[in-house]
Amino acid sequence: MLKNDRSELDYGQLVKKARRLAPMSDPRFKLAILADVSTQHLVPLLRVLFAGHGVNVEIYEAGFDTVEVEALNPQSALYTFAPQAIVILQSVVKLKSGFYNDVGNRCSFVQTRSESIETVWKAIRARTPATILQSTFVLPYERAHGNFGRLLEGDFSGVVAEINREICLRARRNASVLVNDIDHIAGWVGRRKFLDEKLWGLAKSLCAFEFLPDVAQNIVDITLASIGRSVKCVVLDLDNTLWGGVVGDDGLEGIKLGDLDEDGSFRFFQLYLRELSARGIILAVCSKNNDAVAREVFRKHPGMVLKEEHIAVFIANWDDKATNIRRIRETLNIGFDSMVFLDDNPFERNLVRQLIPDIVVPELPEDPALYVRAISELNLFETASQSTLDSGRTALYREQQQRTEESQKFVTLEDYLQSLKTTACCQKFEPATLGRIAQLIQRSNQFNLTTRRYSEAECQEMMRDAERIFPFTISVQDRFGDFGLINVVILRLHRNERRLEIDTFLMSCRVLQRGVEQLAMNRIFELAAKEKFQSVTGRYIPTPKNAMVKSFFEQFGFRRVASSDDGTTEWQLETEQYGPRKVFIDFNGC
Amino acid sequence: MTHAEIHQKLTPIFRDVFDDPAIEIKDTMTAKDVPGWDSLTYVNLIVAVEKAFAVSFTTKEVKSLVNVGALIELLAKRTA
Repeated sequence: MLKNDRSELDYGQLVKKARRLAPMSDPRFKLAILADVSTQHLVPLLRVLFAGHGVNVEIYEAGFDTVEVEALNPQSALYTFAPQAIVILQSVVKLKSGFYNDVGNRCSFVQTRSESIETVWKAIRARTPATILQSTFVLPYERAHGNFGRLLEGDFSGVVAEINREICLRARRNASVLVNDIDHIAGWVGRRKFLDEKLWGLAKSLCAFEFLPDVAQNIVDITLASIGRSVKCVVLDLDNTLWGGVVGDDGLEGIKLGDLDEDGSFRFFQLYLRELSARGIILAVCSKNNDAVAREVFRKHPGMVLKEEHIAVFIANWDDKATNIRRIRETLNIGFDSMVFLDDNPFERNLVRQLIPDIVVPELPEDPALYVRAISELNLFETASQSTLDSGRTALYREQQQRTEESQKFVTLEDYLQSLKTTACCQKFEPATLGRIAQLIQRSNQFNLTTRRYSEAECQEMMRDAERIFPFTISVQDRFGDFGLINVVILRLHRNERRLEIDTFLMSCRVLQRGVEQLAMNRIFELAAKEKFQSVTGRYIPTPKNAMVKSFFEQFGFRRVASSDDGTTEWQLETEQYGPRKVFIDFNGC
Repeated sequence: MTHAEIHQKLTPIFRDVFDDPAIEIKDTMTAKDVPGWDSLTYVNLIVAVEKAFAVSFTTKEVKSLVNVGALIELLAKRTA
């Protein structure tokens, strides 16, 4: 069975496979299940899925609804069995009947239930070091108050969410307690399909049978991670995997990597990979490319989220990929079974699968927009510990403190802008950004003073005419994210008239009201002063879409010097009369 | 669907669920007649039948089926 292939998770097929499961040799992994749901339908699935990972599992099923009894009785069969892992599986249906019958104690319901769950863990921990896998509760669909229930303390849905939260918080404080997030699975497949009242009635089943394999797989994933079997390294192809196009053919300027290219898919994918890297997954590159050409993208392309510093092993050459992956494995000294290979090319995927059977090679969809989804679906990055646990805890406290502070802030717009910690980078037109510039020029309609649609070639031309043209861009990011290149300004230098003309001034509407236009205007007048231009002039050409910038020049103190019948207005401001606008943007660049 | 059609479509499902390629189903057949037919496999059978015939039984119906004939009867009614 292909590892982590969710398409293999068919209930009927797995039940059949379980019947034909060949006996495996020792050693066994001993797993106990305590549940207030039936486990008979789940256990065969666990056996076959564990076997698929080469684990010979021996399972102890406690009697139905005996979680507390088994855990609290030192003489129980659970402890005689001496499990290495204990799965505690609980249904929201049981929780619900408890809640509905407990009318008098609604306010303490969350605390008492969470307390009793933790009591079970502590009883177990007193007697065995076995890893505990505690399930979360599936959020119920009943909403006695509709949406308003979200605002109430005792609404059942909110109560369940709070208990789930308590389970997570308490699990952090208890050694070797891991969370088996059943609610995530239910949410992913859809709660209305996951929950099955009829099967609960007939068989006390946790969920519809078709999703039992997902539950079983989740248990397998967590258990394997708890015994150290987890993914440690992701090997990445480059062309059409990290960016659109082939850098060797299309060149640095030709590859698609911007915010708007392919709707930002590659950028999102890289952000996701950077997140994996930050959490300790090693990234490696394995690409059929010229090494210098491939590295240049990492060094020079402004759209690259991943930098060379994120890549532990960088191999770009013309050898076959299996050979290169073996080299990566040797360098890192890890097992193939802890490596994942991501490549858009089916040929390369199959080649690597055949030559290195242990490595995980997920299918990637054709559409890069679906890369992150396809990989997430496989739950490849399960882990049972975080090496930076202490710094993680510090971060939690810091977050909490920030939230408290935040709630007291934002008395004024200025305060708010300041809190965004916006930074901007101002650059003259460059080969690597030309594509994005041309795109913005073609697409921007609203915040666009003259709507002059220059082509990429024309923009390229402007770069060479430094004597007469000063074209520049501004890229912006704040503490919530990166907006990328969002502002294009083209200035014409009329040296003999000592006049600077704003030929083009346009902006993406994603960053309005943030001070970017003020920053750009400050730059324009700084340039005018530096070059000893007497005045700055500009023009507003109305279109059906750009009314929002009608008063643009006025707001900066320009005076109108001409207007024509079609609504076009011309504006002028003497350089020395301009007062720089206050902006809350950290700034670097040209 | 006719009784015969249902009968024909049910046979492979029974063989699959009870893991016996030789099973021939009869109207009078009950759990006693089929090795491996217990409460566990019965639910598997019902889920498989519901999926194959694209129908959904009520809990009461599931619990009241006395033999295979009753199941065929119910399916005939549902797929009419």
